[in-house]
Amino acid sequence: MYPLNWGSQGVEAKLASLCAEAVDALKSGHNILIITDRRLNREHVAIPALLALSAIHQHLVREGLRTTAGLVVETGSARETHHFAVLAGFGAEAVHPYLALETLTAMHAELPGDLSAEKAIYNYIKAIGKGLSKIMSKMGISTYMSYCGAQIFEAIGLKPELVEKYFSGTATQIGGIGVFEVAEEAVRLHKAAFGNDPVLARMLDAGGEYAWRTRGEEHMWTPDAIAKLQHSARSGKFETYKEYAQIINDQSRRHMTLRGLFEFRLDPARAIPLDQVEPASAIVKRFATGAMSLGSISTEAHSTLAVAMNRIGGKSNTGEGGEDKNRYRNELRGIPIAQGTKVSEVIGADVVEADYELQAGDSLRSRIKQVASGRFGVTTEYLVSADQVQIKMAQGAKPGEGGQLPGGKVSDYIGKLRHSVPGVGLISPPPHHDIYSIEDLAQLIHDLKNVASTASISVKLVSEVGVGTVAAGVAKAKADHVVIAGHDGGTGASPWSSIKHAGTPWELGLAETQQTLVLNRLRGRIRVQADGQMKTGRDVVIAGLLGADEVGFATAPLVAEGCIMMRKCHLNTCPVGVATQDPVLRRKFQGRPEHVVNFFFFVAEEARQIMAQLGIRKFDDLIGRADLLDTRKGIEHWKARGLDFSRLLHQPDAPAEVARYQVELQDHGLDRALDVKLIEKARPALEKGEKVRIMQDARNVNRTVGAMLSGELIRHHPDGLADNTVFVQMEGTGGQSFGAFLARGITLYLIGDANDYTGKGLSGGRVVVRPSLDFRGDAAKNIIVGNTVLYGATEGEAFFRGVAGERFAVRLSGASAVVEGTGDHGCEYMTGGTVVVLGKTGRNFAAGMSGGIAYVFDEDGQFSKRCNQTMVALERMLPAAEQTATQDPAIFHCGQTDEVQLRRLIEDHYRWTGSLRAREILDHWEASLSRFLKVFPHEYRRALGELNARNETAATIAKARESDKPTVKA
Amino acid sequence: MGKITGFLEYERLEEGYEPVDKRLKSYREFVIGLKEDEARIQSARCMDCGTPFCNSGCPVNNIIPDFNDLVYRDDWRNAIDVLHSTNNFPEFTGRICPAPCEAACTLNVNDDPVGIKSIEHAIIDRAWNEGWVVPQPPSSKTGRSVAVVGSGPAGLAAAQQLARAGHKVTVFEKNDRIGGLLRYGIPDFKMEKSHIDRRVEQMEAEGVAFRTGVLIGALAGDGKITNWARETVAAEQLTQDFDAVLLAGGAEQPRDLPAPGRELDGIHFAMEFLPQQNKVTAGDKLKGQITASGKHVIVIGGGDTGSDCVGTSNRHGAVSVTQFELLPMPPEHENKALTWPYWPYKLRTSSSHEEGCEREFAISTKEFMGEKGKVTAIKTVRVEFKDGKMIEVPGSEQILKADLVLLAMGFVSPVASVLEAFGVDKDARGNAKATTEATGGYLTNVDKVFGAGDMRRGQSLVVWAIREGRQAARAIDEFLMGSSALPR
Repeated sequence: MYPLNWGSQGVEAKLASLCAEAVDALKSGHNILIITDRRLNREHVAIPALLALSAIHQHLVREGLRTTAGLVVETGSARETHHFAVLAGFGAEAVHPYLALETLTAMHAELPGDLSAEKAIYNYIKAIGKGLSKIMSKMGISTYMSYCGAQIFEAIGLKPELVEKYFSGTATQIGGIGVFEVAEEAVRLHKAAFGNDPVLARMLDAGGEYAWRTRGEEHMWTPDAIAKLQHSARSGKFETYKEYAQIINDQSRRHMTLRGLFEFRLDPARAIPLDQVEPASAIVKRFATGAMSLGSISTEAHSTLAVAMNRIGGKSNTGEGGEDKNRYRNELRGIPIAQGTKVSEVIGADVVEADYELQAGDSLRSRIKQVASGRFGVTTEYLVSADQVQIKMAQGAKPGEGGQLPGGKVSDYIGKLRHSVPGVGLISPPPHHDIYSIEDLAQLIHDLKNVASTASISVKLVSEVGVGTVAAGVAKAKADHVVIAGHDGGTGASPWSSIKHAGTPWELGLAETQQTLVLNRLRGRIRVQADGQMKTGRDVVIAGLLGADEVGFATAPLVAEGCIMMRKCHLNTCPVGVATQDPVLRRKFQGRPEHVVNFFFFVAEEARQIMAQLGIRKFDDLIGRADLLDTRKGIEHWKARGLDFSRLLHQPDAPAEVARYQVELQDHGLDRALDVKLIEKARPALEKGEKVRIMQDARNVNRTVGAMLSGELIRHHPDGLADNTVFVQMEGTGGQSFGAFLARGITLYLIGDANDYTGKGLSGGRVVVRPSLDFRGDAAKNIIVGNTVLYGATEGEAFFRGVAGERFAVRLSGASAVVEGTGDHGCEYMTGGTVVVLGKTGRNFAAGMSGGIAYVFDEDGQFSKRCNQTMVALERMLPAAEQTATQDPAIFHCGQTDEVQLRRLIEDHYRWTGSLRAREILDHWEASLSRFLKVFPHEYRRALGELNARNETAATIAKARESDKPTVKA
Repeated sequence: MGKITGFLEYERLEEGYEPVDKRLKSYREFVIGLKEDEARIQSARCMDCGTPFCNSGCPVNNIIPDFNDLVYRDDWRNAIDVLHSTNNFPEFTGRICPAPCEAACTLNVNDDPVGIKSIEHAIIDRAWNEGWVVPQPPSSKTGRSVAVVGSGPAGLAAAQQLARAGHKVTVFEKNDRIGGLLRYGIPDFKMEKSHIDRRVEQMEAEGVAFRTGVLIGALAGDGKITNWARETVAAEQLTQDFDAVLLAGGAEQPRDLPAPGRELDGIHFAMEFLPQQNKVTAGDKLKGQITASGKHVIVIGGGDTGSDCVGTSNRHGAVSVTQFELLPMPPEHENKALTWPYWPYKLRTSSSHEEGCEREFAISTKEFMGEKGKVTAIKTVRVEFKDGKMIEVPGSEQILKADLVLLAMGFVSPVASVLEAFGVDKDARGNAKATTEATGGYLTNVDKVFGAGDMRRGQSLVVWAIREGRQAARAIDEFLMGSSALPR
């Protein structure tokens, strides 16, 4: 705090004296310093808590005193999780949000629920704590102590001098305001607080941060922008679109985006007639829609985007929720959609609520198939149907977090597509369990390229400092395509703290990516897409100039098909049927592919007009021409004056012959894969369905064995082949991803051992690994397969005579597996299928498990200590007769008693692997059975019960629906 | 949003009307507002949109989702504060606003909109009943004075805002009571005048001085514009006496119908007819009131003023009432995909229409016919529109009985002489020329003379007038003080 009449200029002196006072206090023996703004009053303005804290923190660090002190911030300004996170990140050991707490004390009686003031405060603190854990987990930090002072932040819009002095070490790329402007803002806020604004006399400001308000915070999507876009898309009027674009492009000049601060370097002498610019139909092919999963949005909204993108030759994206095979199967078989075919005839009348007629040659197939950490619905067939497979490393709007689908939106249909349990919310884990390094990413790229050899492999990254280096790594890891996603998306069910405070603008990441790739002569090998609240042709051209070959759009096409920015995606109550799974609401969906098509052609047309002004004939010629961009002159806003975009608009110093856009294809080395041989040998099976037996040496240089064969098989037989049609017996050591995405009908029988990721994404095939004939040890005590085995396996069987590494069967969602022991984190996030462990597990077994069953042989009676029982129950195994007598068959896993299933799996295990452990257990079955524990997820039990209850009444409901379609006002 | 799924569970509930036979017997309001619990249920239908189109659809930008939520949570006290934060006179708009907010309501996309106006009505009525609407005199005076010319909704809103900002405000009204069109244009059965009186009382307590019967400048013309002024003050006098002047005198110049026979007796502008009845309703004696009693009445003009003429004529006891509209009958339902969230063009049936009235569309007046200088009939012709051009349908002439013809075809502009008295520049439509920019808005070419409401924007809604009055008040406050805390 300092006297208001010092004005903003007073801040520096006060900060200096604060720092000196802090040193004095420590030297005089104090060890806890409290930085407070509690005593601010009409005459005394508070220095922003973060600035004061960080100034002192940095000063103490420089003085070598920081570790002797504890810093406590007592401030009225901390309210939201993000505020606490920033204070912590810049050195606060403790924060006392006195104003928030006093407010709760004052208003607890008005809050819903019978809350005492203490309880309200308790809840608030708990919520902030949970929010902080979430934020820390995004950054991979486990303890507050590690987070405290870690400065995991990037500054946007702060002057380097300010950052250097008070936030030393924080990245700031585009300059911006200095310390006096920061203080000026505080002074203005102070004056507003103590002013005599009549509206604020009894009320708080209307805000408008989280929901739009006329007199509140600016938002890019205003009511008029939404209305004009929808009217133009529906009526096909370009003039109306131009009104929309005017609102958007103009408001970006109201300082809401970095690109809003740019202008084109126009030279009338260079301008060309519009008809010399390549046609809109060529430009729209560079457009893709964003990864919005089926689940987050309705099947109507999702498939309409797909139809539209296929009509214009662009690409739609499945998102991470899988895709109904009815949407692509016929197309892959070469059966086109006929004029007048209804959507319901393609996908099924029971899953479509808002129906319409398609045009001849339409396709509902999403050309981009996303592979995210949850691996929902990632099957061989899904991958084979892709033109592009996109690995989502992170999401621009919420970097560090996986997708999140609230339980209410996991309908039966969505659950089926995702191989998960209806009604159970799905939170994708932050990391891919098979990616812990760039080499792992290269491996996943290789795996996917093997299965979907005709598809390009894309890696989605988010804009941040250093993304250029990552992109270079991705290019070297043989990705064909990279997406740089900006922060300003994420309208759906993303947490508010992420929407508002995580990520950086794509302009920064894209520019860095382009510059790094060009400098390293990698740009020609990889296609670059920019993504993040793209709305107009101006956005498209700027993305091109900064280095994008392609542009991704999400919210705008969603608005074109009816989204009205309700921001209720997380509640399942979207009133226009876009972001809901409620059939009653989905019936209100009014979007049509032609609306989206109109929108994209308008965007391309606007882009062409700008290209003509710039004198650019082809989009390729536009890419990377940052020299055609300039910082807008005369930026009037007082906070925009110190911005410096020179780094962003810098042209890398590389010879002219170095490609600035994608000109060549990556060499994936597929022709050297072992599968080329396997496919040749399996021809009779692939073409005629005849049984084939193949003998082959296994060597660990052969990675991803079986994947390309599976892809080929599924291309011929989408449902796979009869069990064991292709039997491959191998001997030796399986390389990484042995048996990945193995399709139904193939058995890989390996004598020896295998590496990490064995059976990844198993899709109906069988993987057997048994020890080498020379092996003399106890199989049940020795590792036979590596880490992260059977990750995301949807179907099929796996038998491992030996112990698996860590993360065994993570996100297993349908396959069955028998193993003789596991490392830590077994069955984490599992949503379906059956796992049998015949020996000791590692720690944290079944964490986050919501579906399927694990049967664990509790050798030492200590399993309950190693099992994470937050979401599961451990149950004693009942003999079949007892189970039938005492339990409702409704909650039987797979409709059978546990004993029957377990015994069959162990018998199979013995048959395939000759396991001594299995033999021993079978020989003493009754005694053994009692030593098994059943790991039963709570959610799965609930869902089984509900499913069964539903089945019983299904007939009645169906009948009722027939006779009387329920109305909205039921 | 009190209730997340409220919009799926509850239906729109219209405000009720008293039965026609009962309401035709009086000039009292006949709308039966929602009961408190009904209003609460209605507010539960609000979806608390992330992008509330109502908020931008409302000309005064009422913060509708917020007061809906407060009503649902039974917090009427805060609801009125939220409502008053954007709207000085919700009791006017809650009664007579056509509610563009409801057209913009997100629920209106594919369902019936939330009954926003009925909720507003319930909030303000309760607030008055509870005694929550009290004067808010300024804590300190600025010593500056402002003259407001015209006491319609624009003038009143501006005056209240300026008085609360500490200025000494005097409102000048040429007629004998405060309110402008609210007083003498809108019949009592749509809005009783006690609502205005209450506000005037509140504003007097806030320091506003009202001077009625004072014409400012000059009123040229044919005497067809209601003017009950007893004295006239020159424009220069006003600009001399006050630090700022706001011209908020409305757009009073009515559109005439120059057909043969126009000079006949019994042909009147709506604004001759309606004010007289309001004056009589207020208890005044009036000689030679224009009455529809026992007459065949033809109202020319299909808008709201026309409707008011229909309702008043029926209350007078007209034998028949026919309303003409030049344009063809609009569609009954709009194409929401292309109109929402904007105000749709569609057939609107008012409460006055329900009280008994023939509505003729696509009809044009060719001639007024009369006997002994009095109108007795009207000659009409059917019209068609092709490529935006109107053509008469040959052979479709018709003669209709008419003892009283009321012209309600809208207003062309403000009365020019008032603007001219101040030397204020006019725009192409004859309105006072001034922008609505955040800085320098509402200021005319004449130093310290501002313009707002219909006088600046041309004929419009009450709610637009309130918006202009509020924004002009801020502009004036800023002009006088260098800065302003008044909301825009």
